Amino acid sequence: MSVTTAEAAARESAKPQDAPAYFECRDVHAYYGESYIVQGVSFEVKENEIVALLGRNGAGKTSTLRTIARASEPHVTSGEIWLDGQAIHTRKAHEAARTGIQLVPEDRRIIPGVTVEENLILAQVSEPKGWSLERIYEAFPRLAERRRQEASTMSGGEQQMLAVARALARDLKLLLLDEPYEGLAPQIVREIERIMMEVKKLGITTIIVEQNAIAALELADSAIILDMGQVAFRGSAKDVLDNPQLRQEYLAI
Amino acid sequence: MTINSVFLQLLTGLQLGAIYALIALGLTLIFGTLGVVNFAHGALYMLAAYCAVIIAGKMGFLAAIVLVPIMLFVVGIALERGLIRYFYNRPHVDQILVTFGLAIVVEEVVKWIFGANNIPFKLPAWGNGVAFLHEYIPFLEGFVVFPKWRLILVAVSLLTVFALFALLQFTRFGLIVRAGMREPEMLRFLGVDITKRFAIVFGLGALIAGIAGVFGGPITQVSPGVGMNLLVPSFLVVVIGGMGSLAGALIAALMLGMALAFTAEIASLQQIIIYLIAVVVLLGRPRGLLGKKGVME
Ligand SMILES: Nc1ncnc2c1ncn2[C@@H]1O[C@H](COP(=O)(O)OP(=O)(O)OP(=O)(O)O)[C@@H](O)[C@H]1O
Ligand SMILES: [Mg+2]
Repeated sequence: MSVTTAEAAARESAKPQDAPAYFECRDVHAYYGESYIVQGVSFEVKENEIVALLGRNGAGKTSTLRTIARASEPHVTSGEIWLDGQAIHTRKAHEAARTGIQLVPEDRRIIPGVTVEENLILAQVSEPKGWSLERIYEAFPRLAERRRQEASTMSGGEQQMLAVARALARDLKLLLLDEPYEGLAPQIVREIERIMMEVKKLGITTIIVEQNAIAALELADSAIILDMGQVAFRGSAKDVLDNPQLRQEYLAI
Repeated sequence: MTINSVFLQLLTGLQLGAIYALIALGLTLIFGTLGVVNFAHGALYMLAAYCAVIIAGKMGFLAAIVLVPIMLFVVGIALERGLIRYFYNRPHVDQILVTFGLAIVVEEVVKWIFGANNIPFKLPAWGNGVAFLHEYIPFLEGFVVFPKWRLILVAVSLLTVFALFALLQFTRFGLIVRAGMREPEMLRFLGVDITKRFAIVFGLGALIAGIAGVFGGPITQVSPGVGMNLLVPSFLVVVIGGMGSLAGALIAALMLGMALAFTAEIASLQQIIIYLIAVVVLLGRPRGLLGKKGVME
């Protein structure tokens, strides 16, 4: 009996020293000011995996992505975030970006008052850099045509392309996409989907948040469902699609 | 009014506006980038003027021109790192209180060391005397002179303004700062340490106050209270121009300079003219001439 207790104790004490997965959130808690939003989120993502992060409006998807990108709000109060063996939870936003986290925010955050090309140049101010401008313009001919245009005067779809291109301009290990298809016409959505398939072929580890769960699950290998700031489900994309109860309860599809 | 007197008043307006412009430019630059209302900016001017008197006395005026702006840049960086940065996320009222408090402390220390009175600031030989404008400008009639030093002040102000605009508009550093003013968080997400750039901007604001102190000191006096005397109208210039707008501050400074020059003969009006302008402009445009939505609201 004493042996089993010792074994259990040893297992307990060994747990926190477990090597983290390629990307991992361990019991992350974060607040917007006083409001408790991210309430103990834990999940793992394998290298090259594409994960759909799903859940109802207000479930905490955006907040979780912002927490991972180390935005100043929501601010983390406890928990750990690891990427490729490096602690992210101890870093500031610009340091997290330099370790390879790239957030494409839901409102795109194209920098107004400067050109398309300047938006891309700004992505390459700090090391490590990713795609060269030539490679970006090859992959995004629409951006090449508009390189001298003020970026905020482009259409929503073009701005979304620029937001994704800006992330690729950096040497990234984890891409965080917050509703990349939001508010876009079907034709543009298809164009962005084509880019996403290319990103997938490149093997970039990605977490994608999307209202359109079906579209996200088509692209993703696996899914996380958030509810009230916690992980309610973690499994394969197929598990979600095959489970009507899950779909109804959390996704309304 | 004769063409001569109109011309001289325009020139006077330009010169009066120039000092306000230099101080307001630093204020609005710091506000636009860091979101900090720096009421210690006048104290930086005052410090610069004292440093300039001392250095000019010991090593000559040219040494002061070179050294004082550099010293103020260093003081600015130290101030930002040591104090101001802790107030970025605090309400504007807190920022005003702490910088105002700092200004008073600096003023008292200077008073204690150098006394409360104006200390004379001798002009260098090359800047002394008057310029005979009628020799250069054909439409002036007869004999028209203007103090040389005041012309130099206008020229230096113009140069400073152009240099600042060129820095912000045509360099990579300027691109980062301009982008950071609009989307600081996104720049951080792209790996840019924008806070570091903004600290340099604070230093630049102080450097401009340094330039203003060296060239303005001989005109405005060098006394402990000179900073505060300049701060109030300069701050109004920033508000009239629109908080955070460089171009707005320039236009407002010019307006104020002209208004002061053209009301010179009516002392009672001259004393309130700046407030009159502020009221009229802000009634029509609550955000100031070129103020942007969402700034300090
Ligand atoms: N800046 C903020 N300050 C305070 N509370 C916030 C803030 N931003 C979001 N919240 C709250 O945090 C909760 C989660 O919001 P979040 O934006 O993360 O949800 P979401 O899953 O992305 O929703 P949606 O599908 O609508 O984008 C919500 O209750 C929201 O009201
Ligand atoms: Mg969201």
